Amino acid sequence: MNLVYLSFAPLLLAPGIGSRAARPVAPLVLLAASAAQAAAALAVAFTVTTGTSLAGGYLTTDATARLFLVVINLVFLGIAGYVWNRARTTPELADQVSRFARLSLVFMGAANFVILSNHLLAGWIALEITTLAATPLVVRTGVPSSRHAAWRYLLFSSVGLAIAFVGLVCLGRSMATTGAPPTFFLDELRSAPTDAPNMWRRLGLALVVLGYGTKLGLAPMYSWLPETYDEAPPSTTALLAAVQFNCTLVCLLRVLQVYRAGDRDLVATELLAIGLVSMAVSTVSIIATNNYKRLIAYASINHAGVIAIGLAIGKSASYGVVLYVVSNAFIKAILFLTAGKIKAHYGTKDTREVSGLISDLPYSGLFLMVGTFALLGFPPFGSFLGELIILSGLVRADQILVFVIFCSLVSLSFVATGRTVFPMIWGAPKKKVHWPRQSFLSVTPKLAFLVALVAMGIYMPAPINALFRAVAASLGAG
Amino acid sequence: MSGLLIAFAIVVLIPLFVATWRTSLLGLALQGALIAWLSLRDESTVTLDVALIAVDVIGLRTVAAPLLLYQVMRRRNAPPRNDVIAPNLFSWAIALGLVVVAFRAADVLVPIEGDDQMLVAVAAASFVLGLFVLAASRATFSQIIGVLRIENAIALFELGAPGEHGSAGLYAAMSGVLLVSVLFFRWYLVHVTSEGDDEPATESAVL
Repeated sequence: MNLVYLSFAPLLLAPGIGSRAARPVAPLVLLAASAAQAAAALAVAFTVTTGTSLAGGYLTTDATARLFLVVINLVFLGIAGYVWNRARTTPELADQVSRFARLSLVFMGAANFVILSNHLLAGWIALEITTLAATPLVVRTGVPSSRHAAWRYLLFSSVGLAIAFVGLVCLGRSMATTGAPPTFFLDELRSAPTDAPNMWRRLGLALVVLGYGTKLGLAPMYSWLPETYDEAPPSTTALLAAVQFNCTLVCLLRVLQVYRAGDRDLVATELLAIGLVSMAVSTVSIIATNNYKRLIAYASINHAGVIAIGLAIGKSASYGVVLYVVSNAFIKAILFLTAGKIKAHYGTKDTREVSGLISDLPYSGLFLMVGTFALLGFPPFGSFLGELIILSGLVRADQILVFVIFCSLVSLSFVATGRTVFPMIWGAPKKKVHWPRQSFLSVTPKLAFLVALVAMGIYMPAPINALFRAVAASLGAG
Repeated sequence: MSGLLIAFAIVVLIPLFVATWRTSLLGLALQGALIAWLSLRDESTVTLDVALIAVDVIGLRTVAAPLLLYQVMRRRNAPPRNDVIAPNLFSWAIALGLVVVAFRAADVLVPIEGDDQMLVAVAAASFVLGLFVLAASRATFSQIIGVLRIENAIALFELGAPGEHGSAGLYAAMSGVLLVSVLFFRWYLVHVTSEGDDEPATESAVL
């Protein structure tokens, strides 16, 4: 059996893990399943060299699928490790862990399908399933505001995906008007002759960008994101920010790879506009907030804006976009899981109430510090290199005004983030709290993400770099 | 076909002005019935695809979705009046303006007059009115109505569009996703209320 099919094994495990008898072993099953999936993803990524078509053509293992399969499964392994450790140290979480295990396995089965999908509609359906699986995970028992956040998440996701679906139907119509047989299979779309873009194609692409942009937290429909990331438990927030974000992005990349192949300027203006607006609104929000989870959420919107701008530029910026996207998955996983630890320790999300982390919670302080540096685009992390390449792409494309606005907004969010986060790390501790020692085992997932982040900025092994380059090439890099 | 599409447009518009929750749900059911009529009227044999479309548009959109929401509203003794958009001239003017814009857009997208142009116009009008309902309302019920209006507009657009609608498996999966979404909507209609905001948080540990 092909290893690719192992990616859907979580769907089979999910019903069994929900039973009362299986509850005590749920964290362990989750960890084992995620480890098996990550191993399978790595094996698929580095043993398959061509875009094999599987399951009647509905699945593909092209470079985009292989790269993102590895990324989301490694992140999920880290999240599963965090959950396993929380279950070990906090027995009263048993019910929550069991529910998380069951739904996150459904989520991951669908997420893997999104990544591997060779069919635009099938990928869209799987993305809907990830949304439906994640919605109950946003709800925290006994916290009414989390129900509101989950409702807004479901509402915005439903509308965003509905808009994207209309866009896909418009793209189908664009083919019909040219006389080509309509199809949503990627390999058939790639081999179809490129014709001049018509009104249906332009409209379809704009709607797809708007619809998937909503799921990515891009302006104008971004307001669900800070609320959801803030209210959801940290494990769920990491799942949404680092896994579902990349699934949605892959859906968008698939459409752009196919429909912009003949004309790289298609929807470039739309992407630039929503990218800049997203950066602007997130920067203002970063300046205004005193909630560290919301701050990271606003930074996520900022990053989505940077990615949209990179996609608009294409060409030489494409490699930077891929690097930036993958770096961000690890950064967000580190920061949201660390934020969970800090919230559990201090019982508050107010930045003014947290001080002296580096002496109080050394590991969490260290990860918040390093994660913030990576978030702000400091060297030697992959995000630094990615942002630098996108900036150079802007200059090469003669987008000097966009370059200036981009740099100004990044500088402002840099100052605002530093002003808020650094006192949390290095400030004088406000109170002495007794806290059990943090075991090295509990920080292993975040440490692994950190190593990956640094590796992306300093030295990337040739096979991994080849994968990055192949994805960038599919987005128009020379 | 044009007669059915005009009927669909009327069914989309009337619940905006007759502001009761029962009218909104009846509107959804009638939209489903008209989509069923439009998409199944030429089918002479029952194939798997036809059966799935029938289950989706008749079973789910016409009967199940409105009925599931009706049960909750009935159980809650909800007051009859429910404005899905603000009841004033300004809102009504926007709603009618959106319909005009949708019809103008259809003229551009489908230059040849006929059923296809009409289908695009009515589906687009229904879609933007759904978005307007969503943007204009804060109540959970009205927001659900907005989403389901959008879903019906998409179904009308998709079933009337030429070309591949995907395999039976894909169609069944899409119906399944809609069913689960409607069940979630029902859950939220029960649990997300303005009174719920006042409940104190009773959480201890967070995962």
